[in-house]
Amino acid sequence: MWFVFTIVYHGVALGALYVTMRQFPSMNGWDFREMFFLYALWMAGHELHNTLFFTVVSVPEYVREGRFDRFLVRPLDALFQMLTVPQQIVPDGLILAIATLAAATVAANVRVDWIFVIFVPLVIAGGALIDLGISLAVATCSFWFIRIDTLRWVVMSLEQDFTRYPISIYTRGVRIVLAFILPFAFMNYFPATFFLQKAETGLHLSPAVGLLTPAIGLAWLGAAYAFWLVGLHHYQGTGS
Amino acid sequence: MEVLTEIGSLILRVYILRALWTALYAQNAAPLNLPLHSMITYATVAMLMSLILEVDGTRLIREKLREGTIAADLMKPISVPLYFFSDGAGQTLLHALLVVPSLLFALLLVRIDVPSPAVFAAFLLALAVGYGVNFFLNFLMNCVAFWTLETFAAQLIVRWVSDLLSGQIIPLTLFPGVLGRIVFALPFAAIYSTPLLIYVGVIPSSQWAASIGAQLAWLALFAVLSVLVWRAASSRIVIQGG
Repeated sequence: MWFVFTIVYHGVALGALYVTMRQFPSMNGWDFREMFFLYALWMAGHELHNTLFFTVVSVPEYVREGRFDRFLVRPLDALFQMLTVPQQIVPDGLILAIATLAAATVAANVRVDWIFVIFVPLVIAGGALIDLGISLAVATCSFWFIRIDTLRWVVMSLEQDFTRYPISIYTRGVRIVLAFILPFAFMNYFPATFFLQKAETGLHLSPAVGLLTPAIGLAWLGAAYAFWLVGLHHYQGTGS
Repeated sequence: MEVLTEIGSLILRVYILRALWTALYAQNAAPLNLPLHSMITYATVAMLMSLILEVDGTRLIREKLREGTIAADLMKPISVPLYFFSDGAGQTLLHALLVVPSLLFALLLVRIDVPSPAVFAAFLLALAVGYGVNFFLNFLMNCVAFWTLETFAAQLIVRWVSDLLSGQIIPLTLFPGVLGRIVFALPFAAIYSTPLLIYVGVIPSSQWAASIGAQLAWLALFAVLSVLVWRAASSRIVIQGG
């Protein structure tokens, strides 16, 4: 059932993109095949995050029900304990994402050389870390607001929207935010620009910045972790 | 807090749609019947409509089935489906209030075509019928829970498919050839596509009657189906402990 769920979720997004781009073949110089690759790269990082780190998303639930408090009295980092909550890992989304990325690589005629082989897994891992940073920041908000279901849902859908198109379609301020403040552009736009050997027309950076994704992922996760620690310090429990 | 998040996300999505369509129209030939301003109007009004249409008014059925409290409702001397409808309509009205501030903020970012009063009246009528079709679709999906007890995943799938096929994400006129004929023939088109295409003038006044007639046919079909499914469902209800 959940496999169908994942297929339909991504299928609808790609279907809408395909139909739109039959009518409008160029999006700031990107054709459908390149957009497909762009989407597949985001999807791989996102699904890797969903497979390994999904328990972070349940932090608000733990907080609400008072189950979070037991992590605080144990002599281990609370986030580490949260990430290692026993759960069933179902990698079907990840498998689908890798298959999609392989198809997109062929469709977009991406040259598969040693740089590709080394850096694509690193970029996917970096993308998953960026995603984890976002989840962590959202989860941290639950220390103050307790119920954040809507926020979680909104951030998830905005992430999908803002990673779907080349950032050059946005105004300059938004491009800068997407590159350096909420680094969604490093999940797929910069790396895709590099692998597709396109000119980067959003911020006129060298396409090679796309290879920095793993470093950006670590830095962003570090910032989110600092925010988490502040939240943890503030945390008072819900009394339940 | 919830309201602020919802309006904030809507503003961002209006910003994205403006950026998207502006970029696409700047570099490609525009489709004949949908110039850029119509497309932006279409997408923005679709987003405002989704505030109303994405409320699942009959979610209560699923919850009450899971908790078993539906047994007590069925014993009361009321029409239970009507009770669900009123509950849904109430939630919808609450969300409809959000349309006004959302529209005002959206107008800071995009310009929306203002239709003539006659067009607007036809749009409202089609929207009301579309609301009915959407209501019964949700009702039928929730009634599946009488047999399966849980329908959340199935419902999300239907919602996503319906987003694409109802013309909420992109106008159905963009679908090519046979695919286009198929999506227009499906019931989903009655939910978003018909009111929106009336609003932007793709459906001319000479075809209003035919389009709204088609919507009404779907509404009637879904209503009859709902009655049949409800009868079958309420006679085989299983209470799982509660």
